[in-house]
Amino acid sequence: MADIAVAEPLVPVPVGPVPGDPAPARRPGLLHALRHGRGLVGVVLVGAVVLLGLLAPLLAPYGPTEQVKGANLVGPGAGHWLGTDELNRDILSRTLHGIRADLVVVFAAVPVGAVLGVLLGLVTSWWSVTDVVAQRVFDLLLAFPALILGILLTAFLGPGLLTVGIVIVALEIPVFGRLVRTAVRTVREMPFVEASQVVGAGPVWVLRKHVLPNSLEPLTVQLAVSMSVAVFIEGAMSFLGLGVRPPDPSLGSLIKDGVRLLHEAPFFAVGPLAVVVALVLGLLLISQSLSEARRA
Amino acid sequence: MLDLHSTEEVLTIEHLAISFTHPRPAVEDVSVSLRRGEILALVGESGSGKSMTARAVLGLLPPGARATGSIRYDGEEILGLPEADLNRIRGARIAMVFQEPQTALNPVRTIGWQLREALRAHGTTSRKAATERAVELLRAVEIPEPERRLASYPHQLSGGQKQRVVLALALANQPDVLLADEPTTALDVTVQAEILRLLDRIRERTGTAIVLITHNMGVVAEIADRVVVLQAGNVVEEGETRALFAQPREPYTRTLLASVLRLPELDSVVEPTAAPAAAPAAQELPAVEFRGVHVRYGSSRRGRAFPAITDVSLAVASCEVVGLVGESGSGKTTLGRLAAGLVPLAEGQVLLRGEDVLAAPRAERRHLRRGLAFVHQDPEASLDPRYAVGASIREPLDIHRVGTPAERDARVAELLEAVQLPASYAERRPRELSGGQRQRIALARALALEPALLVADEPTSALDVSVQARVLELFRDLQERLGFACLFISHDLAVVHQVADRVAVLRAGQLVESGPVGRVFAQPEADYTRRLLDAVPVPDPARRGGRRVRELAS
Amino acid sequence: MIRYLLSRLGSALLVMVLASIGIFALIRLVPGDPVSVLAGPDATPESRAAIRAELGLDRPFWSQYLHWLGDLARLDLGPSYKLGGDVGDLIADGALNTVVLTLFALVLASAGAVLTSTVAVVWDKRWLNSLLSALNTAAVAVPTFATALVLVLVFAVRFPVLPAGGTPPGGFFSHPDIAFQYLLLPGLALALPAWAALTRFLTEALRTQLQQPYVTTARALGIPRRRIVLTQALRNALPSSVTVLGIQFGTLLGGAILVEAVFAWPGLGRLIEQGISARDYPVVQVLLLLSVVVFVLTQLASDLVHAWLDPRVRLNGVS
Repeated sequence: MADIAVAEPLVPVPVGPVPGDPAPARRPGLLHALRHGRGLVGVVLVGAVVLLGLLAPLLAPYGPTEQVKGANLVGPGAGHWLGTDELNRDILSRTLHGIRADLVVVFAAVPVGAVLGVLLGLVTSWWSVTDVVAQRVFDLLLAFPALILGILLTAFLGPGLLTVGIVIVALEIPVFGRLVRTAVRTVREMPFVEASQVVGAGPVWVLRKHVLPNSLEPLTVQLAVSMSVAVFIEGAMSFLGLGVRPPDPSLGSLIKDGVRLLHEAPFFAVGPLAVVVALVLGLLLISQSLSEARRA
Repeated sequence: MLDLHSTEEVLTIEHLAISFTHPRPAVEDVSVSLRRGEILALVGESGSGKSMTARAVLGLLPPGARATGSIRYDGEEILGLPEADLNRIRGARIAMVFQEPQTALNPVRTIGWQLREALRAHGTTSRKAATERAVELLRAVEIPEPERRLASYPHQLSGGQKQRVVLALALANQPDVLLADEPTTALDVTVQAEILRLLDRIRERTGTAIVLITHNMGVVAEIADRVVVLQAGNVVEEGETRALFAQPREPYTRTLLASVLRLPELDSVVEPTAAPAAAPAAQELPAVEFRGVHVRYGSSRRGRAFPAITDVSLAVASCEVVGLVGESGSGKTTLGRLAAGLVPLAEGQVLLRGEDVLAAPRAERRHLRRGLAFVHQDPEASLDPRYAVGASIREPLDIHRVGTPAERDARVAELLEAVQLPASYAERRPRELSGGQRQRIALARALALEPALLVADEPTSALDVSVQARVLELFRDLQERLGFACLFISHDLAVVHQVADRVAVLRAGQLVESGPVGRVFAQPEADYTRRLLDAVPVPDPARRGGRRVRELAS
Repeated sequence: MIRYLLSRLGSALLVMVLASIGIFALIRLVPGDPVSVLAGPDATPESRAAIRAELGLDRPFWSQYLHWLGDLARLDLGPSYKLGGDVGDLIADGALNTVVLTLFALVLASAGAVLTSTVAVVWDKRWLNSLLSALNTAAVAVPTFATALVLVLVFAVRFPVLPAGGTPPGGFFSHPDIAFQYLLLPGLALALPAWAALTRFLTEALRTQLQQPYVTTARALGIPRRRIVLTQALRNALPSSVTVLGIQFGTLLGGAILVEAVFAWPGLGRLIEQGISARDYPVVQVLLLLSVVVFVLTQLASDLVHAWLDPRVRLNGVS
């Protein structure tokens, strides 16, 4: 009995939440959103594309640049599921290998840009002078529409996968820098941050203990959005001949070839297009389900 | 005056129940009837279902709510009517006024537009007629220069004026019933007094019956004819205001009335006990001393700075609680934040235990800060939602690396015990606690480093009266036991009267008067203090008449 | 308000100047010497030096930059390296086509977004919302060049009801009906992502507005919900949507390059694409700067419209 008395709160806790109040006691985490409904579809789509890309050397019947004798612009069939191109190359094999270029861009360049942006945003936003400088630089980078910045950097760096990666990093730094800055500005005004500042917490403590943990969720959502944008950028740049250099395949360059051969072989672009759409759609669904879970 | 009230019922609510998907119904069984021309107060604490009841009348329940029972207006059933039929009643027969005037008006439309829109909904289509009626309405709610105000946007009006416009909107189509949901809670006391008087006059002029939803017993005593007390979705007690205040029958009503804090009567004799208590402490250095401080907001470089604090000198002796009171914009919060080092000082000196904080070297400043703690107004936001409350209480100890981790945990348990919460609560997240519990946690956290000075910014203003009473008791008890000094900021004079030794009255950034609480509240020297005290509604309907007479005489 | 305007104008100018320096410097540093391109492989050192002097490449960087700015200001853009003719003429030829296409897409996207989102909010049916949300996600998930491709395949190749590409033969203004047919497919392909993004934002904004206390006030006054959406919620959601529209304009500028490539639309997008593949840097340089200037000015304009639409900013200058 005595134990029960101790555990009993002195102020009676109402049974259940206050009616009309939205907040239930504990919100399911963000990961929960990825195991159900839309989020799950997104994870499956992205997971499938990633697996196809990773296992490309095992799955692809031919090498990415291998020329098959006698198979010139063959339509889809048993030997070549997606047909061949005008250089006698198997499009399925090229598509599977082409995914790898996109995976590098999505899962290496975007995170690098995100981490750089977050660090820059965190460090600069605390002091007003660095903040102004950083914001002007971000303004400058954001003043270029994404593809235009890609063209500008390619003019300097020359086309290639590395250039695409650098463009993505350059694009994501200001996006994440801005986002973190907003988060810093919002969180540091919060009463709980003020309470710890009053007892002597310094900037590093506040950024590490309060700002960063509280901004992780919007950052995760943005990460998914940025990844889908990165697939776009790779596609658009390769489409304009600024991306991966021939004969190496990427999803964008395959679609470009498809457009070129639109009338001779209308089937050509279908495979790579489907992969691009699956990847972008999957990432979008993930970001949507995450941001909904955050608001719930 | 009484002949205005007929016994005819305009609105009858019978066995109303409202449920959500939650386990507990919002309203369980509420029956209320409203007579023509009367002011009926619906009183209760948060979660009592008083607002939900009012919203159900107009079919404005949040999505997912189910209401059963009966609501009759003028003999006609209106619960469950389709939207189109409800729209003929809303505004025209029964109107509603909400708590927060800051957000109740459309920010991008003019006052005139919004009034015309309200009139248009019930048949006044001619723009000229609508404009004329709008001017008339603004005049009726006593807004100066009504013609000019039609072109104003809400942000150009003060809070009190906004609430008057909201009232004008509600009265636009001459409703028989006005539901007023906490119409004065967000307003300063002097403005509250004006709005209450206006409501009374509207009732007398138009015969509109008013349902006043409030948690404030003072407001009830001031204006209501009858009272219905609600608790957890049920009617607890109902009766004539005077009778109910004089002889509450139910234990809940009695507790509710007992938790209401009261101010001493103006011009009463001061008991000379309070003053000597602070005298011996005066020999020690004061916990905080402001010497001619000025604070300005906005950038002074661009010449747009406006003064928030002008030349205030005030000292808080060690172990002393000083209440800072004033209306919104008085600078009371700014002064508290200045002590806590959260706003920059423009001029003057802030001394912590005799040492100038800003002049001190960095390391020294950090050391001085250790003696400080801050409790914020909003229990929702004062704890980081991502940490268990134990971690939040520990944070000050972690920052200053006090003792070993095990010792810190032991200290957390000790602090939880001090604020009368079980040690197991350390594992809980803030959102799993009630408002009062969160504020206890915030207090525990503030006391972790045994501060010499605690700055408490409206720590109980978001709490229900009964919870507030217990938190204040706990606060006073801890203060006496641990002997910290405190700068206690509140707009609620009765709260300050309860906890503070001395009080400082601020107005528009200037110190109006300061002195021992008993003396200032009973025999104020400044006119402003007197007006402030006068505006506080007295939770005693028997004293209503006397006050009116005094008003007329002045 | 004037103070706000000036500060926004100042930062826009700063961004444009910095961007112009960046573009100029990067293009200058590009590997591959324009002199050897122009002079050909067997040029003598003398002729190379002559070309170098003619192009002004022998002067210091800042002088070259200021000179370039001066030329730009006089609209004297000099000769192109490869595409032939004067850069100014090339741009003038394509400008009208691109302006018409992007404006068409802009109007389509914004009008379409206002329409779809208000319909979705006013006519609040579950199936309609699921349908619109699915269409919306699809429109965002399919890249612009793919949408363009699909539109051509369906409406010009499989069912040849609309022209597959090119501009109307008689110009845009002599036969507006024919011009509209030519504009429809590329305009739709270009507008779709912006349309979808704006719709999503505006629908969300309208829903948020409908939860605001002022809407409850209006409902308690007996004003019908549809009227509240149209006269109050929409008016409140508009200022922030204008800002989003300004940002979406960047997508349109980038998208124009892709759409013009697919539809053989002889505009600036095609010009920049040809300029890149021919490494014709004077052309690319001017076009890049032009797009930055247009984008920055659009954002400035959208900020000003936002401020003007919101009386709290307009009358007090608080942002």
